[in-house]
Amino acid sequence: MRARVIGLLAVLAALPLGNTPAFSHHSNVAFAVETVLLAKGVVKEFRWSNPHTWLYITVDDGKGNKVDWAMEGRAPGVLLRAGWTPKVVKPGDEVQVYYSPSKDGSKVGMIARVTLPDGRVLPNAPPND
Amino acid sequence: MTTRTALVACTILLASVSTMLAQSAVPDFSGVYRPVNAFGAPPPGARAGGPPPPAPGQPLPPPARTAPLSDGSRGRAPNAPKLTPEYMAKWQAISKARVAGSSDSDNTLKCLPPGMPAMMNMAYGMEVMQTRDKITFFSELNDALRRVYLDGRTPSQVVLDDPTYAGYSTGHWEGDTLVVETVALNDKSYIEGFTPHSGQMTVKERIRFLPNGLLEDRITVTDPAALTEPWETVKAYRKAEKGDDQLREFACAEGMDHAK
Repeated sequence: MRARVIGLLAVLAALPLGNTPAFSHHSNVAFAVETVLLAKGVVKEFRWSNPHTWLYITVDDGKGNKVDWAMEGRAPGVLLRAGWTPKVVKPGDEVQVYYSPSKDGSKVGMIARVTLPDGRVLPNAPPND
Repeated sequence: MTTRTALVACTILLASVSTMLAQSAVPDFSGVYRPVNAFGAPPPGARAGGPPPPAPGQPLPPPARTAPLSDGSRGRAPNAPKLTPEYMAKWQAISKARVAGSSDSDNTLKCLPPGMPAMMNMAYGMEVMQTRDKITFFSELNDALRRVYLDGRTPSQVVLDDPTYAGYSTGHWEGDTLVVETVALNDKSYIEGFTPHSGQMTVKERIRFLPNGLLEDRITVTDPAALTEPWETVKAYRKAEKGDDQLREFACAEGMDHAK
């Protein structure tokens, strides 16, 4: 796990700064679904829309750089059943996001799980599904 | 006829009618369902031997994955449809693109219907609406819909010349089992995920309640151009529990303004 976080930081350090990125939607195959990394960041925006939700966060890369990431989540209908709501995360919230990285190396991830500031854990699928 | 005789006659008549109705009654599939194992969760008991759950107060271990691997990088599953050389070549090209991260083969991502029989995966939930003459299957994923006509109609030549993603479904009851045949399918969808097929594909289904209450759909896919043998698969759905028994609007195009 520690090695993964260090690996992520190295990737982040290599990426240029930018504004909130706009991305097309991706299917699972755009991500390395069996690799799960951890990002800690501050929420910029939470977009509650179909076919996918988007959680934009700003990550401190540990070297004085703020890096914007777009984290793609499942559809609202599924997330509602997993305990999410449109207001469950707000801009300014410090969150931890477990995600699978994009295969093309862009600053986009696919959400596996989010931990809220109060410690609540939001999975990406309803329990037992 | 005395009053008493009339009453007896009426009682016998009513009993006969109710017996006839009971014999002709068919199951009511109406309702909201959740597919069994929609997102690839391990089956019950599969965690045995795996990492133990965290002690109370301890953090959850990191998730092992975000979704099941579905790019074909480990080859075709043993129970996947058996393809002719022509369609195996098509599949390999699609798989290569998926392994490289391309979402091009994902119809639902483009807000297109998943098509039959992939539609019956119903990963986000299913609503069944049944009348005597028609059963409608609705999928929350992409607000996709199919109708199964039960009134004896058959597909016209106009229908056959106008293939669609869901195709044209007709059905009849055999006891407690709904038997459905689907034709007029276009070749723009994927059989179970990303296996391509031809416009000659037809789908047969046998749908019934199991003794344990699950709704079962036994699906047989035939395609003389793409498959070397019919492909069979079985789906199971559980009735949604109270509080979880409504689907949400999908409105797929809503997010498309976000796509750049």
